Amino acid sequence: MKPKKKWKLSSILLILLFVVIGIFALFPLFAITLGSLKPSTEIMRYGLNLKLQADLLSLDNYSYLFNGETDYFIWYKNSIIITIASTLSCLLLTSMVGYGLAVYDFKLKNVVFGLVLIVMMIPVEIIMLPLYKLTMSLGLMDTLVGAFLPFVVAPIPIFFFRQYASGLPRDLLDAARVDGCTEIGIFFRVMMPLMTPAFSSMAILQALGSWNNFLWPLIVLRSSENLTLPIGLSTLLTPYGNNYDVLIAGSVMAIFPVLLLYIFFQRYFIEGMTAGGVKG
Amino acid sequence: MKKGLLGMLAIILVSSMFLAGCNKGSSDKGYSNGGKGTKIELWTFNELHEQYYEHMAEKWNEENPDDQISLKATTYPYEDLHNKLLVALQSGKGAPDISDVEISKFGNFLKGEPQILPLDDVIDPEKENIVQSRLDIYAKDGKTYGIDFHVGAAVIYYNKEIMDKAGVNPDDIKTWADYKEAGKTVLEKTGIPMTTLDIEDQWSFWPQVAQLEGKDDLLKENGEVNLTDPRIVEVLQYEQDLVKEGIAIPSPGNDHHSEEYYGFMNNGGAASVWMPMWYMGRFTDYMPDLKGKIVIKPMPAWSEGAPRSAGMGGTGTVVTNQSKDPDVAKKFLAYAKLSKEGNIEIWKQLGFDPIRSDVWDLPEVNEENKFTEYFGPNIFSTLLEVKDEIEGVNIGERTPDVSNAVKTTILFQTLVEMKDPKQALEEAASQIK
Amino acid sequence: MEASRRQGVRKQKKRSLLYSQNAAPYFFIFPFILSFLIFFAYPVATTVIMSFQEVLPGQTTFIGLDNYKELWNPTFLTAIRNSTVYTLLTLIILIPVPLVLAVFLNSKLMFAKNFFRSVTFIPALTSVVVAGMIFRLIFGGQDGALLNSILTNFGMEPKAWLNHGGTSMFVLVVLATWKWMGINILYFLAGLQNIPRELYESAEVDGATTARKFYHITLPLLKPISIYVFTISIYGGFSMFAESYMLYGSNRSPNNIGLTIVGYLYQKGIEQNNLGFGSAVGIALLVITLIITLIQLKFFGMFKKEEQG
Repeated sequence: MKPKKKWKLSSILLILLFVVIGIFALFPLFAITLGSLKPSTEIMRYGLNLKLQADLLSLDNYSYLFNGETDYFIWYKNSIIITIASTLSCLLLTSMVGYGLAVYDFKLKNVVFGLVLIVMMIPVEIIMLPLYKLTMSLGLMDTLVGAFLPFVVAPIPIFFFRQYASGLPRDLLDAARVDGCTEIGIFFRVMMPLMTPAFSSMAILQALGSWNNFLWPLIVLRSSENLTLPIGLSTLLTPYGNNYDVLIAGSVMAIFPVLLLYIFFQRYFIEGMTAGGVKG
Repeated sequence: MKKGLLGMLAIILVSSMFLAGCNKGSSDKGYSNGGKGTKIELWTFNELHEQYYEHMAEKWNEENPDDQISLKATTYPYEDLHNKLLVALQSGKGAPDISDVEISKFGNFLKGEPQILPLDDVIDPEKENIVQSRLDIYAKDGKTYGIDFHVGAAVIYYNKEIMDKAGVNPDDIKTWADYKEAGKTVLEKTGIPMTTLDIEDQWSFWPQVAQLEGKDDLLKENGEVNLTDPRIVEVLQYEQDLVKEGIAIPSPGNDHHSEEYYGFMNNGGAASVWMPMWYMGRFTDYMPDLKGKIVIKPMPAWSEGAPRSAGMGGTGTVVTNQSKDPDVAKKFLAYAKLSKEGNIEIWKQLGFDPIRSDVWDLPEVNEENKFTEYFGPNIFSTLLEVKDEIEGVNIGERTPDVSNAVKTTILFQTLVEMKDPKQALEEAASQIK
Repeated sequence: MEASRRQGVRKQKKRSLLYSQNAAPYFFIFPFILSFLIFFAYPVATTVIMSFQEVLPGQTTFIGLDNYKELWNPTFLTAIRNSTVYTLLTLIILIPVPLVLAVFLNSKLMFAKNFFRSVTFIPALTSVVVAGMIFRLIFGGQDGALLNSILTNFGMEPKAWLNHGGTSMFVLVVLATWKWMGINILYFLAGLQNIPRELYESAEVDGATTARKFYHITLPLLKPISIYVFTISIYGGFSMFAESYMLYGSNRSPNNIGLTIVGYLYQKGIEQNNLGFGSAVGIALLVITLIITLIQLKFFGMFKKEEQG
């Protein structure tokens, strides 16, 4: 007979611990949301603070986002386009590579995997300048494609898909071959559907990375109408006075899509991480 | 069902790639005048400058109906602009026709073979009306590469209210020694420090160094690093002494452009601050409570009769060698910054002290505007008073490194950590090639 | 007849290519190879070459090891020290703590697991720009700034957080903890859920205490995921740049207390346009990470043939 869950002391302590952690996690976001509701002169004078000051609260800052003075919504749209395009193309290509490395035995297998690891290690800053020149020669400067193309075949998802695919049952492969499937067909029709949890987790990871990506788009994107959200927001920080009104409100609004994405897909994300198992 | 999902994803992928690819780089978008006329692309790091250029482009088109230009001006954050420009010039692609370059970054663009065009052909006709030192700072090997907005004469802003409370008359302060004494009085009588000092910026230190007689300042006349000059050590020692005695404090927020400082000063935190003329806009925009309480006076000098001012800061606007219409670009630039109309507009719109001295006593320039409302009339009289005492500074290829050292280590070590000035300067100098 | 037979053979060859298990892998890895050559190998080679040159507009001269000799200066050493300390601190905090928290979160004693799991993850969703700005405002030096006002409420002195080495590193580490704690917890949770319940149950039957269960079952079986987290944390630590940049509003910090290796690379290579020298810094970073990776791989034996299925 299972005992009813009792309110043990340890349970209470645990909950308390996590409540404290939760406060720590959410507190800065609360502070900034509060800050976005106050005029920026307050921030200038008193810094970010927690005083509720009901008389000062208003949605004015958010109205600046909508009034067209800045290209905020164009930045938003660009970020969405780039995130979708880069995530989908990344998933397609990296799953292929990871799968290939996991399922087949060929001479260069370990070498290629080693190369993947090496690419994972190098911060983009090291190769930034030659990459910039290359992007120019390819005519991709100031384009949305240029902002993500060099990194679309990303090493971390390759790594992850490889681990995941290694855990898939081989007999399915053989059965499909007997059925007369081409190797490519096996991948698309048989294995890919099996890797859905992996796709979900990598989708979230990539989308998150793409949405928040800063350094490379900073280099590639020029005209205001091509900027992504993080870059656009950072242009509001100038040595001649920070446009905190739009900056803070804009930052708060930037968090929302990702928040929604996470809330809806977190189950798949966890499934993907779990089932895939980043096994040894 | 699964196939349907895959299919839908495929469609999304293709359409988003299409949308992404569709965003071509330059189109007619963003160009003024409906895209008609010679297309000129301009970069700047200050939105006020952008608006100014756009305004001048309109005026140009009014006065030159046969020679129209279509301007696309973009503002980038300060660091970002200089990095982008440098990379574009380096790689030979992607640079605009015209760009602002701030003075402390200008040295980077003079290294090797400058990828920017000499502007002497448009400068020479107006040369005698322009404060010469403002042209020398952007020159290399006898050719001038940049045109400035302003003189940036360093002056001192006193909070009259606090000074009156302490019973000190700003006009009595003629030398830095006087200043120190006055500071002691102000501190005694009101408990308020006489001034704040830039720690992460150079506007407190550099003017004092530039005031030293002779042609050397942070760089020697020939461009060599001059940080270990004994007279410079003395200047730094002077500042450190002020801090030690409480007469000066490191600026809240570490420089005079931070929110912390604006709030502090606005609440009467210090009795004065010395900054260039272009700092007026910060008072009007960020320190509203001080309206009517601030007076502008010439800075104290190191000795009676020594130079009281120096030209500080500056934006040297350049024309790049990637411009497709360099002649039109140069002419427009000259119109915007060298002409009489341009200089008058520079004062009216930007609140800068323009580089043409023949404009300083024109009536248009002494009209009422937000600056006279704040500081009182006769702002230019202070400028005219020091007209012949505005020292230039030496700008060269080492300037960015020196500037960086000042802003990062030298001031912090001596004014916050109280390190010995001689040591700090020598260490910094040894690291600059 | 001959023709159709020949056609048949050709068709068979073509078909067999699509079925070939030898050809297939090359098709699959092709995107990576292409991307690697164009967007990685070529730029790296260029960087290596540039590190031996002095690169000025219009003049590029070969200067041998001069750039590397110049690397040996106090600023670069400060950067290395900052990056190393930062990495060490984040490793110490961001591996054991999320691990333990994940165990707690996973335990039978916990309520509302999903809720708390999500809450700790939310900070990871913010971009570096936003996070850096938030923390800069919270840790501002004025008396009215958030943290300082809390401190004064408790009777403590306000601090100029970003002006001193010790406190600034503290702020950076707090920022990292805030941002990455949730995601590491998720990784460990995933690893935990792979541990079969039966193992714990049979251990309990044998009379094992909680501590023993933890040390002998949980920890060893979390090893693979721990290695993964450890690896990405090391890379993340040494290549940290954006957080510091955002915290100080630019690449400059008083006395270089916030300067990291990549920050130094950016300063020299991009801001001061000394491409040769910047490339040398980049190569130095490459060497450092290569060494660490090799040590780590040897230590954890990642290249060994997998024993499990």
